[in-house]
Amino acid sequence: MLSTHLKIATRNLRRNFTFSVINIAGLALGIGIFLLIAEYVSFEWGFNRFASNYKNIYRASFFNGKEEKGDYYLPPGYAAALKEKLPAIEAYTRIGENLGGGVAVVHQQKADAGQAYREGNVSFVDGNFLQFFGWKLKEGNGVLNAAQTAAISASTAKKYFGLNPAVGKIIEIKNQFGSTLYTITGVYEDVPAQSDIKADVLLSFKTLENPAFRNGNDWADPVKLESGYTYNFFQIRPGTDQAAFAKLATQVTRQILPDAKGLKVELQPLKDIHLAPSFNYHFQTYGSLIYVVSFLAIAILITVIAWLNYINLSTVQALSRAKESGVRKVLGATRSQIIIQFLTETVVLTVISLLISVAFVTLVQPYFNTFLEKPLSLKLLFDNWICAGVCLVVIAGCLFSGIYVATILSAFSPLKTIRGVANLKLGGVSIRKVLVVFQFTASVILIITTITLYRQLRYMQTQDLGLSLKQKVVITGPSVINSSGIDQSVAFENRVKQLPFVGKIAASNNVPGQGYNFSAQGITKLAPAAGDEKKSYSMLIVDNQYFDTYDIKFKEGRAFTPAMLIHGWPKTRKVILNESAAKQLGFANAEQALGQKINWGKEFEVVGVIKDYHHLSLHQFIQPMIFLPAVADGYFTIKMSAADMQQHINQIKKIYEELFPGEPFTFSFLDEVFDKQYRTEQKMGSIFMSAAGIAVFIAAMGLFGLAAFTAKQKVKEIGIRKVLGANVLHIVQLISADFIKLVLVSIVIASPIAWFAMNKWLQQFAYRTGMSWWIFVAGGSLAVTIATLTVMVQSLRAASANPVKSLRNE
Amino acid sequence: MLTLKNISKYYQVGGSKNFVLNNIDLDVEEGEFVSIMGPSGSGKSTLLNIIGMLDQPSEGYHYFMGEGVHLLKEKQRTALYKQYIGFVFQAYHLIDELTVYENIETPLIYQNIKGGERKALVADILDRFNIVGKKDLFPSQLSGGQQQLVGIARALISKPRLILADEPTGNLNSKQGEEIMELFRKLNQEDNVTIIQVTHNEKNAEYGSRIINLLDGKIESIKNI
Repeated sequence: MLSTHLKIATRNLRRNFTFSVINIAGLALGIGIFLLIAEYVSFEWGFNRFASNYKNIYRASFFNGKEEKGDYYLPPGYAAALKEKLPAIEAYTRIGENLGGGVAVVHQQKADAGQAYREGNVSFVDGNFLQFFGWKLKEGNGVLNAAQTAAISASTAKKYFGLNPAVGKIIEIKNQFGSTLYTITGVYEDVPAQSDIKADVLLSFKTLENPAFRNGNDWADPVKLESGYTYNFFQIRPGTDQAAFAKLATQVTRQILPDAKGLKVELQPLKDIHLAPSFNYHFQTYGSLIYVVSFLAIAILITVIAWLNYINLSTVQALSRAKESGVRKVLGATRSQIIIQFLTETVVLTVISLLISVAFVTLVQPYFNTFLEKPLSLKLLFDNWICAGVCLVVIAGCLFSGIYVATILSAFSPLKTIRGVANLKLGGVSIRKVLVVFQFTASVILIITTITLYRQLRYMQTQDLGLSLKQKVVITGPSVINSSGIDQSVAFENRVKQLPFVGKIAASNNVPGQGYNFSAQGITKLAPAAGDEKKSYSMLIVDNQYFDTYDIKFKEGRAFTPAMLIHGWPKTRKVILNESAAKQLGFANAEQALGQKINWGKEFEVVGVIKDYHHLSLHQFIQPMIFLPAVADGYFTIKMSAADMQQHINQIKKIYEELFPGEPFTFSFLDEVFDKQYRTEQKMGSIFMSAAGIAVFIAAMGLFGLAAFTAKQKVKEIGIRKVLGANVLHIVQLISADFIKLVLVSIVIASPIAWFAMNKWLQQFAYRTGMSWWIFVAGGSLAVTIATLTVMVQSLRAASANPVKSLRNE
Repeated sequence: MLTLKNISKYYQVGGSKNFVLNNIDLDVEEGEFVSIMGPSGSGKSTLLNIIGMLDQPSEGYHYFMGEGVHLLKEKQRTALYKQYIGFVFQAYHLIDELTVYENIETPLIYQNIKGGERKALVADILDRFNIVGKKDLFPSQLSGGQQQLVGIARALISKPRLILADEPTGNLNSKQGEEIMELFRKLNQEDNVTIIQVTHNEKNAEYGSRIINLLDGKIESIKNI
């Protein structure tokens, strides 16, 4: 029986070729998208689970009960003190993440000048780090218990030493802790993509215990209990009650730390560090649950649209299958036998679609991965429960739609089909309409979402920022700071300024679009109001050219003088405020702030107030900012003419390498730096645009099939009307009107849903556009246009047919 | 073999009943060859469908092989006609997607007959009808007469005791029609298969042993030959 079913199924697919192609294409596309997104979900879900004992590892954090977010940067001496008191702790490891970033100088021979590499991902860790997190060793033992030991990743080793062994070699690391030599004890395999803890170079914490290797940064002393800067991970004995342990840890911590009153210790499982297990998860996470969930929602939406397509197209085909169904009944088939036969067809079609979708996924995988910047593959689907989920969705979709279609197709009474197909009426008309409405509602929501996303993005990118990003090149300053470095920086600025193509040059210790230098509290007017000392200010260290170079306008006062720079802000005690800072300090306006003294431990004089500008993206409100004078050398911003950019940069590079020997020259364009902040929105925009495109495409395919069917069904009516004098337009109207009505209904349903969702989404932006009526009109018109064009093709064909032919057939 | 008593079929139109069949009494014995004649709309096909249990009468009693059909549930009715009745249609109603062989085989599949036995039965009937060479062709590749031949072969495959034929020659030319009627006669006489046919054609009707004339849902006359 089964082989007969299969045979008939394949014959039918071939016979109704157009329908089969539309059906399979829609389904394959839907399933393909679903698979791709399932890969992504699986990838995000599987983070930090490669260590064999990951279930027992927790990250400790301090909550003071007031702030939502806890403090994850704990004092370096804390972990050891806690372990001593709590035997349930089997092991701990600390990470000073990216603390050692700077320049690595690699000497192949003892005497050579060495090759310098700028390295950002350089972390200080404890000796047991590699073993603790289950990072695989490739070479050496990777133990970092001794001072001045380091471990590097396999690709870093390859970069430094090529194919030569790296263990035992010595590298020089220049960073905020001065210049220190490290012996490599191990090379580890590159960190798995599904790890939130990443590092190219690991340095031993032990090193920092020696003041000689701290370069005056005594806050970093790894036995101290004062400044918190380390992530602390604890491995707890299996079977320990987590809540009770956290409670105990809280008590002990209040004894260990002097100012820990009211503080609560909380433990976050390692596996939950990436993806929050729920929406109201109060720990910090690196992944985004909301993205994963919205992606999943999109995937399911598209899959559902594809299945609905299948249901619609297959049921309308029923008329041509009615006779077969009826004859089979007369020949003795029971209804269930007929249902199984049609169900077999659905299964065959699903299997074909599934195969094509796998091919499709393989084909687009590289583009998808480049776009998401994630190493996804079909293999990920078999990693965890996702596999079962995917199977469930595909099987459920197949069975549900298959059974529905089969039920409709097998419902005809044999007598009616034998009397003649022309008299048949197909049931489920309203259901088909509902399905079309659902498909287009989903499509219209996606279209409106896409428009809103891009509108917000454009808004953020085109707002007047209050500063100019154009034609600015940012050059990273030297990594080692010492007294002679200041002279070198001044010399660099002076020589670059001489170049004919350079307009202006400024030095600052951070740049717009990237961040501030630090934030500070306890800054007040001389006569502060209550609570003023708790207000926070974003501090930025700049030179006197910063404001001019960036076209930042002064409201009152002037920029710093060269003399203020030379002495630096701790000595000259001068500051410049932005308007927001002046206001937060309690000055009525900029004019009143000028020349006033403010209290920040010592008294500082306000020498200028600038107009507010957007230092960071429009996600955030403008922060109260305080500018501090210094001969900065973190970043040099050069305003230059746009012509011959590459050649001009090369000239600057020459000067840089001459004045800062051994320092790698790196540069970026400021507008790109600033734009990077909108990457998320750009990606979201692309994703929603693709999703909308695909949804509309699949829905339109379905509509195409339905219209083809309607045209076929009404062929006699059309013939009669034409004989009676109807023109092409009348006929097109006859076929299209019903469908267009459905699309209009969809728009009416979709608009409030989209409005609600997008309004909510926009809330997260400090500066945002509103939802305008034209977005809905545009989204709706787009859907109507596509639907009309789709239906038009079919109705035109029907309308131009020769009526004599269609009538003779009757 | 079958008995119809006071069989009526009507549709309610407004307040009045619109009779298609009106108080029909009919007995058919095993081995008979009955032709039903009458003008369009006289109720011939409805009568045939009721006999074949594809349609139910509005009133009356219907006995088939000693069972009261009017008392049976649909499942039981299906089982009954599946076992005893074969249908032949004017428009052949072959399944377009299936080959000649598969069309003939289909009723056997629904009777859960094993593959080997099916093969033997189909081969036998193909041979008997002289259409072995056509077994792999699709209906669209056959002439009307050949299609009807396949239709009859399909009706006979499950060895029915009664064949119901609704204008079996209606779509055929006279020569093809004659061949089909000869075949029916042979089946009736040699294999003792009971046949009830509906026809317009006076000449074809005379192949039967009895001709029943219907007019406006009533039996107008019965003629024994």
